[in-house]
Amino acid sequence: MNPLELTLGIMTAVGGFVDISELVFAAKAGSTFGYALIWVFAVGTIGIVVFSEMSGRVAIAAKQPVFNLMRHRLGIKLGLLTLVASVISNLITCAAEVGGVALILNYLTGAPYLPMAAAMTVVMIVSIWVLPFEWIERVYGLLGLVMLVFAAALVAIHPPWDKIAGGFVPHIPAGLSTKELLTFAYFSVAILSAVMFPYEVYFYSSGGIEEGWAPKDMLKNRITSIVGMGLGSLLAIAILANSAQLFGPVNVDPEIPGTAAMQAAIPFGKWGLILALLGMFFAVSGAAVETCMANAYSIAQFFGWMWGRHKKPWEAPRFTLTWIVLFALALLIVLSGVDVMTLVEFAILFSILVLPLTYLPLLLLAGDKKYMREHVNGPLAKALGWLYFAIITAAALAALPLYFLTSGGNG
Amino acid sequence: MRKSLPLLLLFAVGCSSSGADADLQYIKQARSLGAEWALVNEHSNRGHVPRIYVHSMHRWLRQNLQTAAKSLTRPDSRYGEEIRALLAQPDDAAPNELRAHVAMLKQIEDSLESA
Repeated sequence: MNPLELTLGIMTAVGGFVDISELVFAAKAGSTFGYALIWVFAVGTIGIVVFSEMSGRVAIAAKQPVFNLMRHRLGIKLGLLTLVASVISNLITCAAEVGGVALILNYLTGAPYLPMAAAMTVVMIVSIWVLPFEWIERVYGLLGLVMLVFAAALVAIHPPWDKIAGGFVPHIPAGLSTKELLTFAYFSVAILSAVMFPYEVYFYSSGGIEEGWAPKDMLKNRITSIVGMGLGSLLAIAILANSAQLFGPVNVDPEIPGTAAMQAAIPFGKWGLILALLGMFFAVSGAAVETCMANAYSIAQFFGWMWGRHKKPWEAPRFTLTWIVLFALALLIVLSGVDVMTLVEFAILFSILVLPLTYLPLLLLAGDKKYMREHVNGPLAKALGWLYFAIITAAALAALPLYFLTSGGNG
Repeated sequence: MRKSLPLLLLFAVGCSSSGADADLQYIKQARSLGAEWALVNEHSNRGHVPRIYVHSMHRWLRQNLQTAAKSLTRPDSRYGEEIRALLAQPDDAAPNELRAHVAMLKQIEDSLESA
């Protein structure tokens, strides 16, 4: 198997795990609770591997993307509700990413924030228009790997590896006050939501169809989802652990994304910082493209339009128009002056409310022998799928009360 | 309605807080922003970070601090004064100077949290 074939998983995961919301949440989680939230990333990572593999398998076996099947399975009314909720969640996330890209460019070049948001939106639209799907994956996925500088920084600062290993064991730190316990619960829910963002699954399964996956690609689907999501998780955990080691002791709970880049500046100096900012730039740009395309895929698939970047833009005109309009709407949200961090909070909150609606139909479809035949969910996929469905449903129910009780995790 | 009562109560508790309790989140934000500022200046003094980044960070940190200060329900409180004192610092303030304000805000934050 050619390693370049893994780029769909890498782009999906880098865009999902180290997007603007994760950069902030992982760093805040580390500085606030040390290594205690690593296990939530691990739990979320297994969940997203389970569901992305499942969505890839559904795409291969049923030759249908998730949203198309969702409409048939849920019916028009519930399907439409899921679509509307997903579109809102993805649009807010996309706006947060566009704002994030502009912020990072501002840190890198000093160029003004709002004009940069407009310019980068144009660049991203042009890149989707011009590049074939495989090259979109490669450009954003592979360049996002510059984020590995955060993992290198973690090694360089000689962290307490035993404590990091201990963080993988599910536990709640002892001695927390009620307020701190609520904040810990809010962070857990927010991390789970950010790791399992629904757009990752929409993008991944549609990407599999774009690449023309066939039954012979079942193994590739499995490897891609495990390697891609594993890599994304590694980066997010590195950011958390760096933050626990470098930020927590000096009272920094990163309030602005630019502070996260200091994690690489501390051990590697100027070039570490520049690499970190470049990695963040490509990862967040990839996330913006991913969220926008996931939204366009969902809408086009729901309404049965011609879709896909394997076609020329004018061969799927409604799909093309949709992703351009979605990018323009995301830009308008940024230009309205809403703070990126506020967008991040809303994106996470909306996304967790959408999670059960996204994953239930997928779980039902992947367990349906009529659609899946010999590729139907086995006992392990079925058990894990339902376990995770229970977890995300509980998280979705707890999200809003926790958000209000902890002022969005701020106290 | 009966079923949603606990949820409504939770919202009410979350939304009705005022005064120092409501300000706690802004105190925390200001404390972290001050600490981020000190960290940036410390590494800037050592020549570890590019000037453009430092200028840009100063602008965003100050802007966020101003927002936190404006959001306080008790701007004339001790923590309000401390945040204003932070804002009065020049961009290239000495990290120790900034950290002194951060320590003060952290103290206030801890006392409010344990109350």
